[in-house]
Formats: sequence, structure tokens, C-alpha cells
Amino acid sequence: MKIKDIALDGVVRQNPTLRLVLGTCPTLAVTTVAFDSFGMGLAVTFVLICSNIIISLLRNIIPDQVRIPAFIMIIATFVTIVEMVIKKFVPDLYASLGNFLALIVVNCIILGRAEGFASKNPVGYSALDGLFMGIGFTLALTIMGSFREILSKGSIFGLQIWDASKFSISFFGTSAGAFLTYGLFIAVFTVCYNAVENKSRHKLGVDVSVKEEA
Amino acid sequence: MEKYVFSASPHIKSPRTTRGIMIDVCIAMLPACIMGCILFGWQALITLVVATLAAVLSEIVYRLCAGVKFQTILKEFDFTSVVTGMLVGMNMPAGIAVYVPILASIFAIVVVKMLFGGTGKNLVNPAIAGRIFAFMSFAMAMTTYPAALIGSLNGGAITDASGAVVSGATPLSALLGSNSSTLSNLDLFLGTGVGGVIGETCKAALILGGIYLVIRKVLNFRWPIVYVAVTGLVTVALNGFDFNVFLPSILSGGLILGAVFMATDFVTTPNTKLGNYIYFVVLGALTAVLRHFTGGEVVSFAILFMNLLVSIIDKYVYPRPFGFVKAKKEAK
Repeated sequence: MKIKDIALDGVVRQNPTLRLVLGTCPTLAVTTVAFDSFGMGLAVTFVLICSNIIISLLRNIIPDQVRIPAFIMIIATFVTIVEMVIKKFVPDLYASLGNFLALIVVNCIILGRAEGFASKNPVGYSALDGLFMGIGFTLALTIMGSFREILSKGSIFGLQIWDASKFSISFFGTSAGAFLTYGLFIAVFTVCYNAVENKSRHKLGVDVSVKEEA
Repeated sequence: MEKYVFSASPHIKSPRTTRGIMIDVCIAMLPACIMGCILFGWQALITLVVATLAAVLSEIVYRLCAGVKFQTILKEFDFTSVVTGMLVGMNMPAGIAVYVPILASIFAIVVVKMLFGGTGKNLVNPAIAGRIFAFMSFAMAMTTYPAALIGSLNGGAITDASGAVVSGATPLSALLGSNSSTLSNLDLFLGTGVGGVIGETCKAALILGGIYLVIRKVLNFRWPIVYVAVTGLVTVALNGFDFNVFLPSILSGGLILGAVFMATDFVTTPNTKLGNYIYFVVLGALTAVLRHFTGGEVVSFAILFMNLLVSIIDKYVYPRPFGFVKAKKEAK
């Protein structure tokens, strides 16, 4: 196993939000502004790295029958730590994320990586997997948050680009806009991904043209 | 032997095409558009033209992006995007910033129609979705109605609580209690002195268009009447059986526009007669009840909601197959 594979898997090939469609609840709920999305991404990344390390260390000790409750216990510990830290040092972020911070416990990405990767691989790889999955999640969320913030508020990371009272599409700030944005991003990402994939296969001399000749 | 022609079905072909029907709908909308331009001036014309052009162009651009040849697009062009664009324009107040109808048309065509598979595949009426998109995004601009250029025939006006004349208020705001109105029903019918979006104020022109569609057999006269009547009657019931509100309630707001052109879209109505009765009666009741309790114009939201229920109605209400006899219950 190569580190390059883990990195590519985390950020592109198995991007948690855009390819695996995991963790949709925070994606839809907190991406109204870029700053919240970035904070959410960092919180998830931290929990993901720590829980992956601990679960990987304990992977031979935890009995198979009770592994899910054990994983949840470990994840919940780190979520509580993150929650306390954010509440103390970034109270604004804590106020705007609200319940979704505590809900990281049941985020599918973390449990999915614990089950699918950390419980089968050594510590170093698991930590890297957590890091890159977290980066993929943070990137996707931040870009979506920026897109929605620019369109609905005319600003990015709180910096005003143009006067929002003159032109802003507040539809993208609502939950209906969240679904639309999410769908558009998945579509665009899949199109780009398939294009690159086809190109690299052509390079290898394997002809797998998806489009039929009209 | 030449008498017998062997061919695969379908054997009966109708000269009617989607394009023909849609051109009929465009013609039926013209009176309301013209009256909108007369009542609100050249700004109404700009809004209508911009919305229609944006809808047609976004359909063509989308299909070009999807790899369809330009000649094919022209050959298959079926005027549904023209209808959608005109309806979006008719749902905008005159004098609105130009980007609002453009964005609403693009949303209606690209997101609501083309992404779901094009003509006939859309889940909800594109024009309704476009209107609601604009309404949610630009709430202020969408509810700032200019006053009609032609004043009330009998000098009536809409006044607020302090007695000041509110220019550009809709008669619906009077009906729902926030203002009071001295407009006659004739004013409401002709759209004189009535504020509102471009296409909705002149009911006479809308009804004229509806009658044209009924004569051309594009529209079944039953459904708009059921919708409008149920809305009126439920409003009467909600107001303590005060029959004076019957005519103002059906002649205010976008009810007639919605009933004639938007709720009766072929794609987003049930397939059976019983299904249609359920659809339009529930739609009418929903419109009246929501209007009463939210105090705003809800025709578009009610239609959007009912559009989403059409597939459920079609699942449970299906036509009796020819010759089908219901199995009798066995006696115990």
C-alpha cells in the first residue's frame, strides 16, 4: 500500500461527500457560510485522525461482536473533546454549529473509516487515511460553503465582495438551495472525475469510450 | 392482397403534435400578455421578452452542451420553453430588475425541466418552480408591485389601516385583512387600478385565453372551473359563509392565471378523471386554507405541492381495465 494511494483515495477517488455521499447531514446543514463549513471540516478531521489511531491500536483487542459500540465510545470521547475546545476558544463557531457538532458522533464518515479502514490496517496508515479523508471532507465543504455564501450573501469568509442588498440570490442560503448545491457539486465532480479517468485509461491503451459515436 | 398493410403499432396517428399544442397555449396567453403591457407599460413588455428569450436560449444552450447538433435542436424545438418563459414573465411584477426573470427562466428550464429529462419528464411545472425560486431569492423585488397605468373605473382604491391609498397593493391584501379595498368586482375582472404581476391582473384576458384553449380542445373546461369554484367556496366557508367574498376571492391574486395555465399542465396532472377530481379539489381547498391562515398569495406554492403528489395519486387511482369485473366477496 502506498501513501499516494491513501491520499488520492481520501481527497478524490473516495471523497467522502462527493463520491461516497457520506456525512450528508452536516454537509446540507452547515454549508450556509464558508467559515462554518471550514470549522466543521476541521472538527471532523481531528476526530477522524484521533479515532482512526486509537481504533487501529485497539483493533486486535476489541472483540468482533461489540466493535460498533466500542468504536462509538472512542469517537464520542474525541467529539466531546472537540466540542469543549471549540466552546472555549471559538464561541462564535460553537454557536452557529450548535447541535451538529455533537452529531459528529454519528457521522457516517468516521464510523465508516473506523469499520472499513482503521480496524484492518496499522496505525501509521490509519492516521494518514484519517488525515486525507478529513482534507477531502473539509475541501468539499469549504468549496460548497463558499459557493453558497457568495451567491446568498455576496461575501466569502465574511469578506464582503459586493453589496448584498443590491444583488443576492437568497435561495442558496435556504435548505432547498443546499440540496440543489449538493446535487450540482456531485454532478460536476463526477463529470470531471470520469473525464480524467477515461483519459488515463486511454493512455494505457485501453479503449473504454463511454460515449457512443452518434 | 394489397388491401392488407402490415405494420407495427401504433396504427392510429393523430395530426396533433406537442409543438402544435404548445403554439396554441402561446396564442392563448397572448391576450393576457397584451393586457399586461397595456396596464403596466413598456416595462412589462421588456420583462416578458427577456424571460421568454432566456428560457429558449437556456434550453438550446443546455442541449448544445449535451452534444445535440444545432439542426436537430431546431427540428425538435417544441415551443414548451416559450410557454415556460412567457409564464415566468407573466409571474413577475413589471419593472423588476432584468436579472430576476433571466435567473428564474434559467432555473425553470435547466434545473426543473432539462435535468429531469426534458419535455414531459419534469416532476413539477417549470414555470411555477421558476416563480418560487425568484420569490424565495428576491422576495422584496417580487412583491413590489407597480400601480396600474389605468385607474379604477369607479374611483375605487386600496387603502391601509390609516386610510392612506396604497399604490400597487394587490386586492388580495385587502381580502386577507391587511388593507381595505373599494375596488368593484368589475375592476378586479378587468385589472383596472389593480396591482399585481404582469399576467394575473386582467382576468378577462385570461378567461378569453382559457376559452380559446377549450375550443381548440387543449384544455378540459372542467378542471379550471373545479379549482376556482372549490377555492371560492372554501374561502366562503372560512369566512363564516359570507357569500360576498366569493367573487373577490376568485378574482384576486393569481388564482385564474394558475387555474388556466399552470395547474392544468398535462405533465403534472393525474392521468385519470377521478384522479383529476381529487387533484383539483384538494388543490382548491389547499389554496383557500393556506391563503386564509398565511395571509399571502399561495397559489404557486399550492400547485407546486400538489404537483409532487401527482405520482402518488396516479399510483392509487387507476382506470378500470376494459371488461374487468370486481371479484364478489364470498358469503361467510
